[in-house]
Amino acid sequence: MNKTININLGGNFFHIDEQAYYVLKKYLDAVRSSLSDDPKGRDEILSDIELRIGELLSEKVKDVRQVVNENDINEIIEIMGKPEDYMVDDEVFADDYSRERSRPKKMYRDSEDKFLGGVSSGMAYYFNIDVIWIRIIWLIAAFGFGFGFIVYIILWILLPEANTTAEKLEMRGEAVNISNIEKKIREELGTASDKIKNGITDVSEKVKNADYQKYSSKAKSGMQDFLDVLGQIISTLFMIFGKFIGILLIIISVVVVLGLIISLFTVGSLGFLNEDWFFQNTMIYNNSGLPLWIASIIVFLLVGIPFFMLFLLGMKILSPSAKVMGKTGKLSLFGIWLVALLISIFFGVQQAMQSAYDGSSVENKEYLADQLSDTLHIKLVDNIKYSENFDLKRRWNNTLIVDENNKEKIYSNNVYLDIHPSNNDKALVKVRKKSFGKSREAARENAASIDYITELSGQDLILNGYFLTDLKSKYRKQRVYVDLYLPEGEIIYLDGSTSSFLYDVKNTKNIYDGDMGKHYYKMTEDGLDCLDCEDVVVSDKLDEDPESFNMKIDEDGVHIKVVNDKNEKAEVKVDENGVKVESSKDSVKININHD
Amino acid sequence: MKIENTKAQMRKGVLEFCILSVLQHGDAYTSEILAQLKDAKMLVVEGTIYPLLTRLKNAGLLSYRWEESTSGPPRKYYALTETGRLFLAELNTTWEDLIAAVNLVTKNNKSKTTQ
Repeated sequence: MNKTININLGGNFFHIDEQAYYVLKKYLDAVRSSLSDDPKGRDEILSDIELRIGELLSEKVKDVRQVVNENDINEIIEIMGKPEDYMVDDEVFADDYSRERSRPKKMYRDSEDKFLGGVSSGMAYYFNIDVIWIRIIWLIAAFGFGFGFIVYIILWILLPEANTTAEKLEMRGEAVNISNIEKKIREELGTASDKIKNGITDVSEKVKNADYQKYSSKAKSGMQDFLDVLGQIISTLFMIFGKFIGILLIIISVVVVLGLIISLFTVGSLGFLNEDWFFQNTMIYNNSGLPLWIASIIVFLLVGIPFFMLFLLGMKILSPSAKVMGKTGKLSLFGIWLVALLISIFFGVQQAMQSAYDGSSVENKEYLADQLSDTLHIKLVDNIKYSENFDLKRRWNNTLIVDENNKEKIYSNNVYLDIHPSNNDKALVKVRKKSFGKSREAARENAASIDYITELSGQDLILNGYFLTDLKSKYRKQRVYVDLYLPEGEIIYLDGSTSSFLYDVKNTKNIYDGDMGKHYYKMTEDGLDCLDCEDVVVSDKLDEDPESFNMKIDEDGVHIKVVNDKNEKAEVKVDENGVKVESSKDSVKININHD
Repeated sequence: MKIENTKAQMRKGVLEFCILSVLQHGDAYTSEILAQLKDAKMLVVEGTIYPLLTRLKNAGLLSYRWEESTSGPPRKYYALTETGRLFLAELNTTWEDLIAAVNLVTKNNKSKTTQ
């Protein structure tokens, strides 16, 4: 015994048995899926097909009361052909076999298994792993790094939803052929009938214990409603947000690409101007042998292409349907970008190789004690002709200059001065010139070619605060270390010009290099001893043992108290009462009061 | 590569030409077109024709009208448009050329193999 269903097929009326109805419906659905390319034409074609099936059926059914059964439908399907036969696309001459094989997986959003937008389940199909891992990663990314949320939203906007059966199959990476479509539709029908069944049992359950169930089911559906509404609100918000991002991307990328284009032409034209800062720097720093114009084109491509892609992405966000650029175009752009990257890596390595080894060249000048004056004034001097700055300082600067002989040189202030005690009664000026190079030999040669002069003139030891290098040896981290060895007892005056050039100079009072200028020093075994520094230098012991040493300087005055192991005390106190000096050992007591 | 695919492709390629030819002597509704094509064994299954008819209609080569029928619902009658006629004439010449060319090639090669 079978139920019958009344249907209207292309204007004809039929009684059809339930089984036959499902077969026919499945067939029509499969045909619909195989025609999914063109939604407008699809409906028209389908109604034509229904019309024809109705016509064929009415030839079979002579009596109005006769019921159409499964056999009738199967015969009609035989006449009409398998759903594949409806596929008449432009690729009729393509080999079907290879087409099935090469069909790639596509990323869609799976709206059937969604938490928010179905992005995770779509990704799970794409990467062929369980969806829970993707969800966990999203959660970590959202809470751990924050930006994960934005990425999710962008994907939500960009990924299309898998609506048709063909799309769902593509999402799973299964070939879109009829057996798969049938399988899928059967699954869907199965779930649908399950749902109906569940719905019916739900209803009967509800009727049975209506009061009891009322609240829990209400809460459940309320929660579901809330989630759905929340999802809708978020999706609209982020649609707007997404468009905003799209506009932002377009603006940023257009500005950057335009800027790059302008600078590309400017750099090219400025190549003729000697004074230009950019030109100068490339002359100094570029060791790789790469011509400037190629370098600028490569930089243009390296930076420009990604921003151009961002531009395309922005366009895509604004109008998802717009075909902005073909796949080949994108791929070739990517290829060009890769080539530019490889070239820049190659020349980057070249550049690094040019500075692979460090080398130094040493020059010593010895002076006998009687050559030195009683007080030796140490000064650093600049060359006003070449210097760009008013004050002489140690800097990491490199300036292209032209010297008296019309040769191009690099001017630099990278000079380090250190002062040590000498182990005999002679003074020694040791100049270590250092530079990098592509080999040890080249590094040494580069170091030797550094032009640096020291001079003893009367009571002054004059050191250059700069050095010059040939342009052809380029910038290779050239620097000059001057070590001054002085016999003990020698008194020196550090001129103010030395301040910024002193480097880690050992001195008895641990004065910072920068504060050492403009003072007199005497060379001792332990380094320089300042003769006229009035600074209060606090002993390191202060913190170690507060019992034995106590010092207090505040608005009330000065109070210093020292106690040694034998409980002998010394105390100095200056306050509003006067000056008090006390020592317990020899009972020294000085007291000066107001009175 | 399956032989069935190649055969089907050969047929599908000329099916549009055949549909237009059927219609050049007068309007016809779908079942009539189908009957002629099936008699000539141009069609194995009927399904193939529907997407083609829609495509030809969308391309402006065919037009259709609904006509009441004495038995059952109204029928869809197809007619060639002016563009359709020009198109068909063009296809006719192409077809003649193609037959001549294919015959020449296949006959030459057949005689070679028999020698």
